[in-house]
Amino acid sequence: MRFDFAPEDEAFRLEVRSFFQEHLPKDLARRFHIGAHPPERDDVRRFQKLLHERGWGAPHWPVEWGGTGWSPLRKHLFMEELYNADGLDFSWQGLHMVAPVLIAFGSEAQRQRFLPPMIAGDEFWTQGFSEPNAGSDLASLRTQAVLDGDEWVVNGQKIWTSDAQMAEWGFFLVRTDLTVKPQRGISFLLVRMDTPGITVRPIVSIEGGTELNEVFLDDVRVPRENLVGEPGMGWTYAKYLLEKERTASAFLYFNKRELEKARDIARESIVRGTPLIDTPEFARKLARVEVDVLALEYSVLRVLSQESNRHNADAVVSALKLRGSALQQRVTDLQLEALGLHALRQWEHGEGETIAADEARRWPAFVPGRTAQALIARASTIYGGSQEIQKNIIAKLAFGL
Amino acid sequence: MDFNLSDEQQMLRDAASRYVRERYGFESRRHLVAQGIPESGHWAAYAEMGWLALAVPEADGGLGCGFVETALVSEELGRALVLEPYIGCAVLAARLLERADAPACRARRAQLLADLAAGSTQIALAHGEPDSRFELDAVGTTARAEGSGHVLDGTKLMVPAAATAGAFIVSARLDDGDVALFLVPRDAVTLHAYPLIDGTRAADVALTGVFVPADARLSAPGSGLMLLDEALDRAALAQVAEGLGCMEAMLAITNDYLKTRQQFGQPIGRFQALQHRMSEMFVDVQETRSIMLRGIASLDAEPAARRRAVSAAKVMLGSAGRFVGGQGIQLHGGIGLTDEHPIGHYYKRLMVLEKLYGDSEWHLSRFIEAQRA
Repeated sequence: MRFDFAPEDEAFRLEVRSFFQEHLPKDLARRFHIGAHPPERDDVRRFQKLLHERGWGAPHWPVEWGGTGWSPLRKHLFMEELYNADGLDFSWQGLHMVAPVLIAFGSEAQRQRFLPPMIAGDEFWTQGFSEPNAGSDLASLRTQAVLDGDEWVVNGQKIWTSDAQMAEWGFFLVRTDLTVKPQRGISFLLVRMDTPGITVRPIVSIEGGTELNEVFLDDVRVPRENLVGEPGMGWTYAKYLLEKERTASAFLYFNKRELEKARDIARESIVRGTPLIDTPEFARKLARVEVDVLALEYSVLRVLSQESNRHNADAVVSALKLRGSALQQRVTDLQLEALGLHALRQWEHGEGETIAADEARRWPAFVPGRTAQALIARASTIYGGSQEIQKNIIAKLAFGL
Repeated sequence: MDFNLSDEQQMLRDAASRYVRERYGFESRRHLVAQGIPESGHWAAYAEMGWLALAVPEADGGLGCGFVETALVSEELGRALVLEPYIGCAVLAARLLERADAPACRARRAQLLADLAAGSTQIALAHGEPDSRFELDAVGTTARAEGSGHVLDGTKLMVPAAATAGAFIVSARLDDGDVALFLVPRDAVTLHAYPLIDGTRAADVALTGVFVPADARLSAPGSGLMLLDEALDRAALAQVAEGLGCMEAMLAITNDYLKTRQQFGQPIGRFQALQHRMSEMFVDVQETRSIMLRGIASLDAEPAARRRAVSAAKVMLGSAGRFVGGQGIQLHGGIGLTDEHPIGHYYKRLMVLEKLYGDSEWHLSRFIEAQRA
């Protein structure tokens, strides 16, 4: 066993840190810190271009497509520094979800067409998986694609399609064969979001943002060559993409960063002359969350460094998701507790980016965005396989129940 | 970063696993408890297999292994609920002797370490007192200078495995207020022995005018508390490993039960409420292993970082142990509360592990202090 990073990796960490210190524009960092959902398209684009120009646009991709060839531990260090700099971990649907599928199962033409503009931040992607009646039970999805000459004709409805409002492209799970068992009849289709017949309707979520959408597809005609891989293999590809980022579901970098923010807020909040952080009640609550975050960090490192665990590897990953998503809520709840009454103010979009000097005494710069983020964090135990689904998986894989 | 075991470590774990599986079944353990844990031959076997020498430096006749080896053995012993004082002697006392820095004790120190590693003498720390709770420096036992030696007076509470110890390491306050460590032979003290809830035995140790010569003093001026603090961290972390073994065993035993126990015409493991409980227990066990590894990584760091990491691990052992232990009983229903079933014995062992060498709340406070340091 060995518990430290190699000196080259530590040097790499510092290189990434100074890159963000020198190159991440302050206005972007401030807006990302507040965390509007969704972020402005232009902000996302600027950030992605910043990374891309440095050669870090998609670290996890193969080198031939612009990836970095970093080890899992280097990617880990990169992400940690990105988060600590208030960088944006966005473009998930494209860079992290559809791209690995195209690289593994797509045609050469699809890779040539889609990967370069994706890594350059010129085209954004959305994911069309869930449907109103196919959430946790995704295999029961009903959106259908029928071949008509050289085109697929798609009809149906998708929901919770993240970032659909700003995406040029979407990857959709559609049913192309009704005669086989549900998982076998699903295909993976790439669809231009401005194709006639597509209607995107934003869903306003509880914090006021519009990252999520409903997408209606009425006789949407998609070129035949936009089907990825083999017809009927969509379910396999979807599982592949969900398994690709095994440790991301721990939300480690978010949890670590936001815990520090909770600590900062508690240092600034004064109760009867004492900083909240020095009151035993808050200190103990914070410490209990911190203990769990410290453990989570090592859980992630164990997976990244490929520990041979006596328990089923997929069950271990589900455990990461269970603990990591619950921690998102505990950490953001701590922030709200530290904020006290300040947590209750509704900030309008863009408000709070700068706070006037005469208001700053009453409304410190750390307030805007925290409550919205805590509200959004309620989603973390639902998406990507809910808590309950993860527990089903562990029971099955770790215990054979 | 590499969390995989070397071939030697793998062999050590397999040997420990095999030993407790073949020689330390639940029924033979019950028999030992019923007999008041007589000399059973297990300790000699542990010595034979080198487990008592793992943490002893090579220069002192030991194997000079890192803490990973200690944790591996502790975990396997935890799976079988072994009754011998492995951590108290081979981890805690061995570390205190290894680091003993009073020049006068040098010759005795080497001999004691050799005896400890060979299994011929058990040594126990006698530190906690009736009023000290878990505070390290709350030492009321006194050490009055007399000639070149000292006279010790005081009472130590609940010393694990006191009855089988050949000697004690006793903390006592000197005339100048400094806390020092002394080696005291068994026959110089009075023991009031009693069983603990987990089947092991402990004793209160009374010291009344016990004279110890100059070479019995183990700690140099000013270093007694520092030595204790560091060695107790190792003991606490080994307990986390032992507790992990207990919890892993509980998961396996409970899982078997869920698959065999029939109610409503089917194995109760088919019910989702019970499946989900198992999954929650699984997460706690995974996370406890992670925080234990983090503790190992920090054992040789500067004191504040070490305290922080070890106390975090002890805090998590407390909460995970309570949840996994409690739900282990719950999922068994009534049978889980019977003395004849192992599950409740794991629960009791976890209760003991939670309190010995600092309970969860004490370690949480220590974690917070270390954070501020």
